[in-house]
Amino acid sequence: MTKSAWSRILFAAMLSLVLVLAACGGGDKKDDGEKKDDKDTSDKTEEKSTEGEFSYEDFDQTVANTGDPSGTGTLKVGYTSDTPFEGTLNWAFYQGSPDATMIGYFDEAVFSMDADFQYTQDGLITYEVDEDAKTVTFTLAHDAKWHDGTPVTIEDYVASYEVIGHPDYDGVRGSDEGFTLIEGYEDYQAGKADKISGIEVKDDKTAVFTYKELAPSLTAGGFWAYAFPKHHYEGVEVKDMAASDQTRKNPIGIGPYKVKSITTGEAVILEKNKDYWRGEPGMDGIEIKVIPSSSIADAVEKGDVDVALSFPTDQYPDVSEMEGVEWLANIDGAYTYIGFKLGEWDADKKEVNYKPEEMKMGDKELRRAMWYAMDNDAVGNKFYHGLRWKATSLITPYHANWHSDVEVPEYDPEKAKQILADAGYEDVDGDGFVEDPDGEKLEIKFASMSGGDIAEPLTNYYIQSWKEIGLNVVKTNGRLIEFNSFYDMVGEDDPEIDIYQAAWGVGSDVDPSGLYGRKASFNYPRYASEENDDLLKKGNSTEAFDVDYRKDIYNQWQELMVEEMPVIPTLYRSYVIPVNERVKNWSEEYGFNEDTLLYRVGVDE
Amino acid sequence: MLKFTIRRLLVSFPQLVILSLLIFFLASLMPGDALSGVIDPNIPAEAIERQREMLGLNNPWHIQYKDWVVNMLQGDFGNSYFKKQPVLDVIGDRLTNTIWLSLFSAVLIYLIGLPLGLISGRYNDTFLDSVITGYTYLGFATPTFMFGLLMLLVFGYNLGWFPTSGSVDANVTPGTFEYVISKMYHLVLPSFSIALIGLVGTVQYLRSGIIETKQKDYVTLARAKGVSESKVYTKHIFRNSIIPIAAFFGYEITGLLGGSIFIEQIYAYPGMGRLFLESISTRDFSVANVLILMYGFLAIVGALLSDIILSIVDPRIRIK
Repeated sequence: MTKSAWSRILFAAMLSLVLVLAACGGGDKKDDGEKKDDKDTSDKTEEKSTEGEFSYEDFDQTVANTGDPSGTGTLKVGYTSDTPFEGTLNWAFYQGSPDATMIGYFDEAVFSMDADFQYTQDGLITYEVDEDAKTVTFTLAHDAKWHDGTPVTIEDYVASYEVIGHPDYDGVRGSDEGFTLIEGYEDYQAGKADKISGIEVKDDKTAVFTYKELAPSLTAGGFWAYAFPKHHYEGVEVKDMAASDQTRKNPIGIGPYKVKSITTGEAVILEKNKDYWRGEPGMDGIEIKVIPSSSIADAVEKGDVDVALSFPTDQYPDVSEMEGVEWLANIDGAYTYIGFKLGEWDADKKEVNYKPEEMKMGDKELRRAMWYAMDNDAVGNKFYHGLRWKATSLITPYHANWHSDVEVPEYDPEKAKQILADAGYEDVDGDGFVEDPDGEKLEIKFASMSGGDIAEPLTNYYIQSWKEIGLNVVKTNGRLIEFNSFYDMVGEDDPEIDIYQAAWGVGSDVDPSGLYGRKASFNYPRYASEENDDLLKKGNSTEAFDVDYRKDIYNQWQELMVEEMPVIPTLYRSYVIPVNERVKNWSEEYGFNEDTLLYRVGVDE
Repeated sequence: MLKFTIRRLLVSFPQLVILSLLIFFLASLMPGDALSGVIDPNIPAEAIERQREMLGLNNPWHIQYKDWVVNMLQGDFGNSYFKKQPVLDVIGDRLTNTIWLSLFSAVLIYLIGLPLGLISGRYNDTFLDSVITGYTYLGFATPTFMFGLLMLLVFGYNLGWFPTSGSVDANVTPGTFEYVISKMYHLVLPSFSIALIGLVGTVQYLRSGIIETKQKDYVTLARAKGVSESKVYTKHIFRNSIIPIAAFFGYEITGLLGGSIFIEQIYAYPGMGRLFLESISTRDFSVANVLILMYGFLAIVGALLSDIILSIVDPRIRIK
């Protein structure tokens, strides 16, 4: 080999080395940048924490600016998201929450809902339940028109079921009780029938649905809540609907504003729908734009947007003093929890196999001690400025009517140590960590998700807290785990996971059997007991249409969960939303209130 | 030349096949699939399993690969699970935006970079040269994402001269003159953020090329012949010093087409870089795979383009 050829190879090798180094350098710098930001905010927090923490209860839920809207002006809505919205703009097909937000501005639910997330009779469609005949009669109570002028009929509501239940439908919906309980639905879905036999259309305004059985979840968000513009999709096959122009380019709905133009992934421009069935909308139009989280606060401050949806709560302490903006807040339908692996999923029987005696975390006293060792009030205050706070029951205060203030272990490390000692956990070999009652070394593997600035310090904080009572907790794989991998591992009952930290969003229906039932694959702790089965079954039985009965059942269930501790709920959370003072009638209150519906929202010029 | 091009393209074909195999195999090793992010207690596991079956996600990777290739040969690149539309449409939307951005950035890079390099090479070791080289060192040291954020803060928010996010004003009608203007207006900040950092390499290459070339004998000869100084630089020196830049030109163009993840993220600009990142984090492999394949193809085309350009600029290569 000649010298010159060598030098070329060497040069190539050096070049790639330089590229690799440059890439590393870039990465490091980014980390530095983030850490610096982190430090800045924590410094500010310390200043502020002396003045007192935030609590969502101190916020209003409705803006002070109320009264009749002028009928003119344009509301500028910012939707905080670091990814563009997908643009599948139909309730039956959308996948991500950005799309859902966009759809919500031009198409509305046909039912109204109260603060308890129960359907009421204030919407376009009213319903009547006949418990004996197991039927529900849906009636179109008002005259409404689609945005293209075609009148809405009850057929449009039925069409939702026919599209979502269609064998060619490739979305994720159509498998919950609102669908599967309908007589003949499963045959239709499997392609064995042309029609859903349990749905009978009486006339343009009335349809009667027959159910195999009636469950309270039906009236708590179970009935599909949207009409489907059947005529708009005329000639389009179900499998092509999601990708069609009818969905992506010129979607229609029945809401107070209609789509004027869509800039894919970035913005939707809406204009007034003068034919809106409740009355004339309060503005000329609405502009909704996707804004990255890094600049949403600046956009609000500058008045580029009047309202910032999904505002990143962790930015709030830095911008809470912003002028011309009113901050609203409410409780979020979600909780963070720590789960214990108490069994595994039996794929053949399709149910959980609860076997505490074989599992490391099977001892209830060990779990109880870990609960006493956690100071979640401090976590809420220090890490989340009080916008998250200590959780108690597995039914969050978001379901205010069902949430019970059960008594849960308070932070008390001495008591935790005592519980461990009483249960036979002792430090035999003097390494500072306790051994299990059999004298074997106890190492608890803790899986936690990456993402956000707080994930790592929070995980370390919990590990530290448990260390203080003598428990040796280590991170699964020695680091935080990326979202997809995390749920892959948790779902497959990976032996590297003894405990894990995750969160659940809760739906409108309070029924927890989708998360804690014996047949629920999302029952990640793999806990099951007869008492639990029984309570969950009773909670969604026909008798449970009686609210007091249902409340009593769920109170018992909440207590059972504290007693059995398959998971420890750690934090409840709230969200904040900045609204420019020029906006009228904006509200974050749950439940139906005619005065703050979207068509009543206005802007001062 | 034509023979050379065709030969190069033929050689690239097996490269693409190997690349696609690698992509598919590696993707199959990644934990999770498009549906593992769907963790919603309202959606029972059976429904998700049914979807997996429908999408063929339960098949082993080599079967999925076969299906993919067969479909692709028939012009069907698959559907994006999350965007519910054909992959080519998804990429098409973003590609248009990215082409605009790359075109603008490339023009800026050469429009600003070449004169700066020329000046700094011609008047090397003067104050002007120090200023320019000082700038290039600073440019080398500044990470793109920081520079982008700074530009956004100063010109977008503090001064308010330029729009801060998006690719176009949503209020203008596509196809009108206003639409084009609005697109360009939205491009100013992101493309300057890319160009002002991206041009430092060009300046440095050109500078050292000129300094080297101007001591060559033929330059002295040209001067001795009485060729005017400006002509010496534009005709004799420039052409020879631009070779290293021409060598990278092809890569530069195709590299820009890949999109800039940082800049697109900062300016909420829907381009290819963000699409790539999104499709990976949501495990939307049908999009990610086609994108990687496309990047591979672009890299090959880039190399080819560079060779062709080089042979135009430097006839010696052609003779070989």
